[in-house]
Amino acid sequence: MRVLVSWLRDFVDVTASPDEIAKTMSVRGFAVEGLEHIDWSSPESNIAKADAVIDFEVTGNRPDCMSVMGMAREIATAFNLPMRRPVARGKSSGEEEDGSSLRLASLKAVEKSDIDVIIENGDLCPRYAGAVADVTVGPSPGWMQARLQASGVRPISNIVDVTNYVLLEMGQPMHAFDFSKLEGAQIRVRTAASGESMTTLDGEKRELTDDMLVIADAQRPVAVAGVMGGAASEVADGTTVIVLESACFNPLSVRRTSRKLMLKTEASMRFERGLDPRLPVTAMERACALLETIGAGKARATVVDRYPQRIEPLTLKLRRSKISGLLGTSVPEGDVKRILESLGFTLREATESGWDVTVPTRRVDVTREVDLIEEVARHYGFDKLPSTFPALTFAPPPNDPRIGRARHLRTVMTAAGFSEAMTFGFVASAAAAPFASEGELAPIANPLSENFAVLRPSALPSLVDAVAHNRRREQRDVRLFEVGNRFTRSTGERRSIACAWTGAASLEHWSGGARDVDFFDMKGIVERVGEALRLEVTTDTRRENWLVPGRSAAVLARGERIGVMGQLTPAIAEAHGLPANDAVYVAEIDLDAAENLAPKEDMRIEALPRYPSVTRDISILIDAALSADAVRATARAAAPPTLVQIREFDRYQGKGIPEGKVSLSLRLTFRASDRTLTDAEVHSAMEAIVAALIERHGAVQR
Amino acid sequence: MPDNPAIQGVREAFLAQFPAASSDQALKALHDAFLSRKSGQLTALMKTLSTLAPEERRDFGQAVNTLKTEIETAIDEKRAALEATRQPSGGVDVTLPGRTLPMGRIHPLMRVRRDVEDIFTHMGYEILEGPEVEDDFHNFEALNMPPDHPARDMQDTLYLDAPVAGGTWGAHRFEGGQRGTVPEAQVRAATLLRTHTSAMQIRYMKTFPPPVRIIVPGRVYRRDNLDRSHTPMFQQFEGLVVGEGITLADLKGTLEAMMRALFGEGVKVRLRPSFFPYTEPSAEVDVSCRACGGSGCGTCKQTGWLEILGSGMVHPAVFEAVGYDPDKYTGFAFGMGMERVAMLRYGVDDIRLFYENDLRFLEQFPV
Repeated sequence: MRVLVSWLRDFVDVTASPDEIAKTMSVRGFAVEGLEHIDWSSPESNIAKADAVIDFEVTGNRPDCMSVMGMAREIATAFNLPMRRPVARGKSSGEEEDGSSLRLASLKAVEKSDIDVIIENGDLCPRYAGAVADVTVGPSPGWMQARLQASGVRPISNIVDVTNYVLLEMGQPMHAFDFSKLEGAQIRVRTAASGESMTTLDGEKRELTDDMLVIADAQRPVAVAGVMGGAASEVADGTTVIVLESACFNPLSVRRTSRKLMLKTEASMRFERGLDPRLPVTAMERACALLETIGAGKARATVVDRYPQRIEPLTLKLRRSKISGLLGTSVPEGDVKRILESLGFTLREATESGWDVTVPTRRVDVTREVDLIEEVARHYGFDKLPSTFPALTFAPPPNDPRIGRARHLRTVMTAAGFSEAMTFGFVASAAAAPFASEGELAPIANPLSENFAVLRPSALPSLVDAVAHNRRREQRDVRLFEVGNRFTRSTGERRSIACAWTGAASLEHWSGGARDVDFFDMKGIVERVGEALRLEVTTDTRRENWLVPGRSAAVLARGERIGVMGQLTPAIAEAHGLPANDAVYVAEIDLDAAENLAPKEDMRIEALPRYPSVTRDISILIDAALSADAVRATARAAAPPTLVQIREFDRYQGKGIPEGKVSLSLRLTFRASDRTLTDAEVHSAMEAIVAALIERHGAVQR
Repeated sequence: MPDNPAIQGVREAFLAQFPAASSDQALKALHDAFLSRKSGQLTALMKTLSTLAPEERRDFGQAVNTLKTEIETAIDEKRAALEATRQPSGGVDVTLPGRTLPMGRIHPLMRVRRDVEDIFTHMGYEILEGPEVEDDFHNFEALNMPPDHPARDMQDTLYLDAPVAGGTWGAHRFEGGQRGTVPEAQVRAATLLRTHTSAMQIRYMKTFPPPVRIIVPGRVYRRDNLDRSHTPMFQQFEGLVVGEGITLADLKGTLEAMMRALFGEGVKVRLRPSFFPYTEPSAEVDVSCRACGGSGCGTCKQTGWLEILGSGMVHPAVFEAVGYDPDKYTGFAFGMGMERVAMLRYGVDDIRLFYENDLRFLEQFPV
């Protein structure tokens, strides 16, 4: 809300500079978005030369402050000054008869004048005032144009300018109709009939629906109530008689209509927040006085004021104990009274405990005791509050363990060389598609762009995007992870950790030894994550369409599938902007699933071995397709319990090995907890293992 | 008396055995045989000193000492030579770079989040997470924003095409007979992406009786285009304290403590009246500008202050929505964007940097 300081001074004799006003009001609930100093150069201007526009941010609960008068009232309270109000001619003697005097015309309320006003929907229009005036359309005077322009409103004609002037000054939206264009000299406030349409002042044709309130003449709609007037009844150069509208509409109705028509106006913004039902006639009197002052015309001295259900002001209890109870300090009684009375509230000392406070009808935001306390606190000053600390009156419950778990994963992943990424929870449909079937995707109904069209079914597509971002910026070696949420229709919102790795497996060094990341590097990470979650994870071949066949695996813990890992297919890498021949390894583990499987109890240590272990190496020739898991399982099944570890330490294919075969070398460790094993024991265990490998897998010992 | 036969005999015996002693143990044995204080042959020689005529004693003693030095030197030299043969050969250029261990970085927003969590854990708050997808009731209605409330415009919302089940929360409170009874642990049919972490105020208060002292960090979503200061997703944390006699002054003291912990002892904190539908009174909170120290500069638009969070006393309508007695309980709530804190702390002037995940950005943060 752009407010001209000289205009404010019509209502309050504030001597503070614009900067001081801005500074003070910014800690009274009105943030200042800008301050422009103005030097009026026009000689005929009757406004003080040095001036300023302060752009106040008026919060949504204060429609009463979307006006010069509203802000003046706040400033008067803040600076402890009296507020000057507009008065009807003859009621005050001291007013100057210049353009900025605060004159009101005296209008006699009548049942019916030259115009007839009928409210059909009283619930949507609590009050409607109409007055007829004879006018000569022309430009408005310079001072008025200057004030409008400084306030951000374009001058149009003396008639329209007067309505806008009153809107800015008092906050009451007004509209002027060309009387000659109103069929039947009638104003009907009614809902639109379905199928009706009209062209609004902006030249757009609007289709109306039966929940929209309109202003109509005897025949057709001439304005969308509280939103915008119609082109057909617009005041034009040849207009000689106008009907002025000053009304009060239901906020919800205006809001719905404005949203439905996607039409936001100065009027609708005020109506939808709620306006003072007592204001329309005063505003009408002000407009008529202004018409006369600027020589644009003269009202016919009567107003038709339809106000079927008078709205009475609210009275609220304000308890002294509640003021200090909420604020943590006691505000002196003198301040409580001064602040509230200055803002227009009426206080009646009711009891020992406090006051009965009558709320001015313009204060639609004040409906409870706590709202009154806010008014007191706001103008008493938040800076006067002491700083205290809430007492801890109970043993705080433990923190969400998922927070500690995520922190632990961060430590583990960063120690493995992965940096943490943070990506959005939504992705493009095309990017999400490979990771979930179409029925599983959760689209966003009103996405901002195609890039944010569906909730991500996996954190991998956005993580791969981050890899590509780095790859395009001279980063060949990228390791990223993210701990976050993902969403599918069948499982809903789930937590996961995702990682992606491309480029070198180890950092480059002058001594050489560099190689690129492979499946087993990523598997090592997956195993490490498992350890961090207290789970022993294994992998099993599982085909995913987005992973390279043969380099695609399910991640399992306690026999349950908790994740997936492998190499991204070149097609998907390319779709994310990565070179197709870059090997990108990825993995994702469901943290909710892992949490359910992880042991809840504390770990217990095992006694340290007291007897030495014995190791034996064995090399066997087996089918290349045979999995290491199967070999290990056979060995374990055939071995006595003294076999404590099997490790593959070499795997060789190529020269000297028949086609389709592989040489696998295993290191077996035996140990007993109660004795030193004898050679004979270990020898017979090895024989049993070799025999089983030969029998089950046709292995040949080398 | 260099040619004393006894001394000569010992010397020859040593010289006879010395060449064969080619290990540490053999040298040690040789040393002991000749030089041991108790049983060494030289000690034995010295013991014969008293049998000699007084005038011979000096020369004899000297001769034994000379032999002692000769044997010691021989053994030491051989020991050193033996040691030298055992050292690995080939030196290195110690000025060449070492092998760097790979170390990733924690995201700057998570560094901020960790700090905030620690600050409030320290103050006795419970830190917990909530679902990112929500329903209208928890995100808006119970927070005093009924349908068609103009304040909903302040938070442009992303809606879901069809309902989805939200994530669980508070499982740790429903195990082992804690005080929670009716677990509303999951959003069964979420229809929107939460626009603020305030939704968890409602879930928590509906589930647990007062007093309340919680912090809820997490991701929130708004229908905002990407630019230097907006992202459609960002990270917030919510603070909520409810009890008997909780005041606006308590909020002020708590926020001051947090800001000092986040920005240093010298930071000044200011509360400005504002408006949020779910708090009354409401306050925007500013901290003194770090760039200029509060004297006014481009960063703070010459005001000396930077807006950092929104807060206020819990609106009685919110208490009514969750079944708390608004006449008995008061409370305060605040919500802060982690990006804002990170931007101020680390001098980041474009919020998009947090979501591009550029390693050149991330790796500027210490390991």
